[in-house]
Amino acid sequence: MGRKLPQFFFALSMLALVLIAAAVWQASTPSWKNYQRAFFQLEAQGEPNAVTKAAVLATPPQIHQILLPGLQRVDRCTTCHLGVDDPTMKNAPEPFRYHAGLGPHIPSKFGCTICHGGQGLATDVKDAHGNVPFWPNPLLSSDYIRASCGRCHKEGDVPGVPELTEGRRLFETEGCHGCHKLNGVGGSIGPDLTDEGASHRSPDWLERHFLAPNVVSAGSAMPNFHFTREQARALTYYMLSLTNADMGSYYSSMRLIPSPEYGRQLFVEKDCIVCHAIGGTGAKVGPDLLGVTKRHSMEWLDEQLVNPQLVYPGSSMPEYDLEANVRTALVAFMASATQEDAQEILAHRSNKLTPEDVAIEAGKRDFARFGCAGCHGTELQGGVPNPNAQGGQVPSLLHVSDDYTKDEIIQIIRDGKVPPLDNAAGPTPPLYMPSWKHLLSDEDIHQIVDFLWSMQQKAKDSW
Amino acid sequence: MNLIREIWQSIVRRDPLSTDKGKSELVFLNVWLHIHPAKVKKEHLRFKYTFYLGFITFFLFLILVTTGIALMCYYRPYPPMAYQDMKDLQFVVFMGPFLRAMHRWAAHAMVVCVFLHMCRVFYTGSYKKPRQFNWVVGVLLLLLTLGLSFTGYLLPWDQLAYWAITVGTNIGGYAPLVGGQLKELLLGGHTVGEAALIRFYVLHVAVLPSLMILLTIVHFWRIRKDGGLSRPTWKLRPNKTEALVTIGAPAEVAPLKTVAASTDKTYGLMEVVTGKPIFETVTPEEEEDAVFSYPYAFFREAIALMVTVTGIMAISFFFHAPLEELANSAKTPNPAKAPWYFLGLQELVSHSALLGGVVAPALMVLVLIAIPYLDRNPSRRPADRKLILWLFTFFVVANLVLIVIGTFFRGPGWAFVPPWVHVVSGAE
Repeated sequence: MGRKLPQFFFALSMLALVLIAAAVWQASTPSWKNYQRAFFQLEAQGEPNAVTKAAVLATPPQIHQILLPGLQRVDRCTTCHLGVDDPTMKNAPEPFRYHAGLGPHIPSKFGCTICHGGQGLATDVKDAHGNVPFWPNPLLSSDYIRASCGRCHKEGDVPGVPELTEGRRLFETEGCHGCHKLNGVGGSIGPDLTDEGASHRSPDWLERHFLAPNVVSAGSAMPNFHFTREQARALTYYMLSLTNADMGSYYSSMRLIPSPEYGRQLFVEKDCIVCHAIGGTGAKVGPDLLGVTKRHSMEWLDEQLVNPQLVYPGSSMPEYDLEANVRTALVAFMASATQEDAQEILAHRSNKLTPEDVAIEAGKRDFARFGCAGCHGTELQGGVPNPNAQGGQVPSLLHVSDDYTKDEIIQIIRDGKVPPLDNAAGPTPPLYMPSWKHLLSDEDIHQIVDFLWSMQQKAKDSW
Repeated sequence: MNLIREIWQSIVRRDPLSTDKGKSELVFLNVWLHIHPAKVKKEHLRFKYTFYLGFITFFLFLILVTTGIALMCYYRPYPPMAYQDMKDLQFVVFMGPFLRAMHRWAAHAMVVCVFLHMCRVFYTGSYKKPRQFNWVVGVLLLLLTLGLSFTGYLLPWDQLAYWAITVGTNIGGYAPLVGGQLKELLLGGHTVGEAALIRFYVLHVAVLPSLMILLTIVHFWRIRKDGGLSRPTWKLRPNKTEALVTIGAPAEVAPLKTVAASTDKTYGLMEVVTGKPIFETVTPEEEEDAVFSYPYAFFREAIALMVTVTGIMAISFFFHAPLEELANSAKTPNPAKAPWYFLGLQELVSHSALLGGVVAPALMVLVLIAIPYLDRNPSRRPADRKLILWLFTFFVVANLVLIVIGTFFRGPGWAFVPPWVHVVSGAE
């Protein structure tokens, strides 16, 4: 062999190269790329223009994923199911078909596996659909998919899923708790069912088990309750919905659904009615919001909510620092809001909205917007050091009504004031009240004074 | 062209490899190659004597370091991200499954090869004088290999990892006095959890590999200092001539001493010394049998490397590393098994915790370390060592049988279940 050593070494090196090439080839041709190619071809068919067609076909293949950090989930289903949120794919063949009827459960916020089961992390069909060893939640068949609603909708009636309601009722009334623990309550003769939805048992197994426990699970201590087929299915639904993961509260805390109802709730929370009217009902500081979605585009409204000054310079609307989802919800509410909504919101306000309230609110905003708070404090407490001024600091405005009349204060705001000196021989204090008459209209100044007087009231109340 | 030649020459700084001078300079002018002698005996290179198991083990370690560093780029040692990272390797990372499979299979192969290497060294009596201490270093390297494999076992954070380490550390916990504390120190708590994962990770990627590299250097250095690769010295022809070698300065000055070459010859450029060398000596006749390391030794080593690498790549191409469900401390698999190389111990533990968890492993390690000092028989000839070879064979077979029983013949509740009987998991 001695003389053949170099040849042998060469042959082995070739073999190593072939293996590396094979591994690279295997890694570069995953099945999802074929699906994406097919999808782009489907998309290109609908494109009339040759340039766009070419651009669609040239889309580089890439993995799509929906990150759901709150659930510690990553769903890559949309890598192949590319049309789920594209209504034009309504009649496309699977896996590209549009997912109709989702309502607020948009894929980009909910992912797929939370309802469908399956292995969201996987990128090939078999693994992703989860019918593989060591993955506890395979894809749920369409017969049972609605059981997943119960994972978040843990209480009350779930619209469209009477089985779930029935299953819960049966569980409570048939005494299942006697043997089974659920969320820490119940007996220990049978298995704990708290996380039953994540167990390996298939829906089919569960259903047959409810019909005849001993047939499916030999030696099971569970008695036959002689459930009807419908009852067995209802209980199966309930079992499939049981999960340890606190999904419902995750979604409600994240407020992921930009529904008009949520928008209305926000409208009340942010007290928009103190500036805006809807159909003439409400305050008149800002524009009436009836039909505002017809006057402006969604983008304009969204921009306006992000940065009012940018869209409409001089706008007295404050920046509320709203998340995208919250803005969408508000716009959704505005699109449907009516005068009745405004009346109802006003009626439920704890303190009734009077014209004075509106003026005070506007004054409060101006006080903040023109920087009065910089010296006088956000709570009118004053206290910013001002050497050699009387008292050594900028005066508090909380007791201003004791020393001045409204007219005197209006005068001071309009013309400004140099603070009286502590020591007549000392230096001029660095801070003084500037004249605001060129910046503020008389109405603005009156509103600010109304606001100051409203705060006086509060200061006295709290004594 | 001249410039290129000049640059090349500035790098290699040796004569052409067609000359003997070039061949020897290739070795001793190169920091990486000079652990080799310039010339080796043909017996050193005989495949059927060493099976190149030491080389193969070392090459597996190189594969593990390389793939391990690549894997570190994708791994967060924190549950449950650790498990998600495994899934990402499987589904998203380019060549991720291949990378992970190479690391996994190379790790198992290394445990096997270290063990086989130890057997070879024992059967050829290569641990005898002057190589006693290198055997001890070798046993420590075996323990480090097991430690690396064991710590790596936890990192995927799946059910297999979680319960294998739970069982494995429980076996360690049986040790008297210190067992409990040792287990707690290793796990950073009483059960396998976040703290255990980060500790195992640090041990796996920093502490144990560093120790491994340090001891490997000692191991290799000692091989060279103890006379090179092991060879069947008992098969060598006895020396026919008793050559005399003159030691001292050239011609004009009187020689310092004239000694018999076969016994008293020594190499040393630092100083000319007399006295018996500690290493196996090479007679002038033998020297005639010697060949240059280049190409004879180097090509054989390179082929061993390529066989190792292609072998691991081929296995990894067809078989992916296993990954079970996310670790769940509430779902104990039945039976929960330790990593396969500890299944012999687990089998013993199932009969007696004291015997399997304490006495057997402690005795095994102590006796293994002490072998070169307990075996007073100077002969390396197999015919002279029958008893001890039978004893060692019994030790090896007993280990293998226990591991096979633990791996294939133990079902739920550690009951004896042959692998051809399928157990249907009963109702809860």
